[in-house]
Amino acid sequence: MRSFEDDPTLSDLLTPDQIQRLGGALSGLCREPVAISENRTGDAVPVEFNLETVGWLSGGASDGEREAAAELVSFLMLFVAKYRLAANIHHDTTEASYAELQRQNEALKASEAKYRDLSDQLQQKVDEQVAVIRQTQQELYESARLRSVGHLAAGVAHEINNPVGFISSNLRVARDYVKDLEPLLPETADNRELLEDFNDLLSESIEGTDRIADIVADLKTFSSIDQAEHSLCDLNSLLRSAIHLIQTEHDHSLSIMENLGELPRIPGHPSRLSQTLFNLLDNAAQAVGDNGRILVRTLADNTGIQVIIQDNGCGIPDTVRSQVFDAFFTTRPVGSGTGLGLTVARDTVRAHGGQLTLDSQEGAGTRVVLTLPVKQGS
Amino acid sequence: MPDFSPEDNKLALKVVFYGPALSGKTTNLMQLHSLLNPERKGELMVLETRDDRTLFFDMLPIGLRSRSGLDLRLKLYTVPGQVQHDSTRKAVLSRADGVVFVADSQVAQQDNNAIAFGNLEDNLDKVGLDIDTRPMVVQFNKRDLLSVVDEAELQSRWADTPWAPLAMASALQGKGVIETFRALLDRLYTVINAEFDLAGKHDIDRATFISRLSASHGVGNA
Ligand SMILES: Nc1nc2c(ncn2[C@@H]2O[C@H](COP(=O)(O)OP(=O)(O)OP(=O)(O)O)[C@@H](O)[C@H]2O)c(=O)[nH]1
Ligand SMILES: [Mg+2]
Repeated sequence: MRSFEDDPTLSDLLTPDQIQRLGGALSGLCREPVAISENRTGDAVPVEFNLETVGWLSGGASDGEREAAAELVSFLMLFVAKYRLAANIHHDTTEASYAELQRQNEALKASEAKYRDLSDQLQQKVDEQVAVIRQTQQELYESARLRSVGHLAAGVAHEINNPVGFISSNLRVARDYVKDLEPLLPETADNRELLEDFNDLLSESIEGTDRIADIVADLKTFSSIDQAEHSLCDLNSLLRSAIHLIQTEHDHSLSIMENLGELPRIPGHPSRLSQTLFNLLDNAAQAVGDNGRILVRTLADNTGIQVIIQDNGCGIPDTVRSQVFDAFFTTRPVGSGTGLGLTVARDTVRAHGGQLTLDSQEGAGTRVVLTLPVKQGS
Repeated sequence: MPDFSPEDNKLALKVVFYGPALSGKTTNLMQLHSLLNPERKGELMVLETRDDRTLFFDMLPIGLRSRSGLDLRLKLYTVPGQVQHDSTRKAVLSRADGVVFVADSQVAQQDNNAIAFGNLEDNLDKVGLDIDTRPMVVQFNKRDLLSVVDEAELQSRWADTPWAPLAMASALQGKGVIETFRALLDRLYTVINAEFDLAGKHDIDRATFISRLSASHGVGNA
């Protein structure tokens, strides 16, 4: 049967054997034998079920016999059909339920996979965001620290500048006065020695004030307190200031060789470039320790400027070379640095349209080449 | 969906009695079986039951033959109202041309009515039928009992639905059963006539359709 509600035919309800057996039994009850078939023959009467003619009954001794026999078959049919209908709808619904279950199972699997994907993507996004946040935070912290150090330096420089200025000029005037006093004093050996000593003291003090003035000037350059955010920068002078400062930090014990070529001025952020140069020098200084050498070269051609900072220090082990630009990566003992030096340096150089390349060999030293275009922008 | 087979000139329609458990669907059908005297009437098939509760469905075929020779059949089904037989309900409901929703009038049964009505809506949707356009009559049965919701209240509650007015019945006493069925035939005719032009092609107008399918023993062929 096609669907539980399709009207059944005789062969849907009974097997040929059963039809024959039924016919045999009915024949035994009638005076003449009867036959049940799906096709109409001569004197056949319809066997009806549910308003439907499902078969034909022929034979029998009279109309009365035929009709009674057909009625009996219809009556039997009712119970056979009931059973078949129940069985069929049971089969239909079981199949539908199973198909539904399978569909739900598939849907469940699909949504599970989707959620797994989503959760993976989410985790990845979270990781990325966390990294971005951490880096931004660190950079913020760095730049805030730099700014405050810069401000402090600038403030100190400004405050020191005036007293150093008048101390220095007073000392020069004092030296002149000592010269003026010389002919007025009685010519004795003691007096001459005293005057010479006095003169030497004043000269040394003048030298001292000159050095203070130099440091103040470097600090001002470094913090770029006198310059606009974005201006034409003289990389050599930024480099010299950075070298002076790093020397000051290391008690002038570093052996730094300068070989600075003539450079065109380039547009940029002087304080950020200064910080970059300082970071690179600081890395080199840490790498060489007490008795290494650092070579600083600058050169220019018509495409750009190169700053090369080379040291013969410890170098960077192969295993960590690929990570040196990663924010937070540091090989130094905990507490001695944030590990952001190279990352910040590279970011700054990139922001200026340039490149920072690193070439290092463990035990032999490191060479950092900073390339900046002469004309910026794209 | 009406099932028309041109080779036998036969049009088979399906009406389903739906509703909560024990609301009287089977009783409605049994009463129709004994009260109706349509042109053609088959056996009432009450399939398996347990404690008088329908397990599969009940079915009563009736029919008429038009002068044009159209063999029109109407199969009346009940569904099992018990919650657990939902897949059977859905199978029986599929391709239904009309629905009689048999609700239980007793105050305590109103939640069950609502749940069953929601279930009808869901299942119609699942078998691809739309409750708002399907010919349907809502019957409130068991009016003979004492603790029933007031008729005026029921009628006003349903007044703004496509199913107003409601049919009131006491299937047990055979009251309102034929009236419910006639109301359904009336709504069914509109839809079937629109599709098969019963009046034009087969000489079956609304009154003929209703009276010949719902002739009762008492009144005779009206
Ligand atoms: N008092 C009263 N009882 C009724 C009426 N109609 C049906 N009942 C009784 O309610 C009970 C359930 O009737 P059924 O017709 O079997 O209910 P059903 O809706 O087919 O139930 P399910 O097959 O389980 O879905 C029977 O005991 C009926 O005698 C009525 O109008 N009045
Ligand atoms: Mg029932």
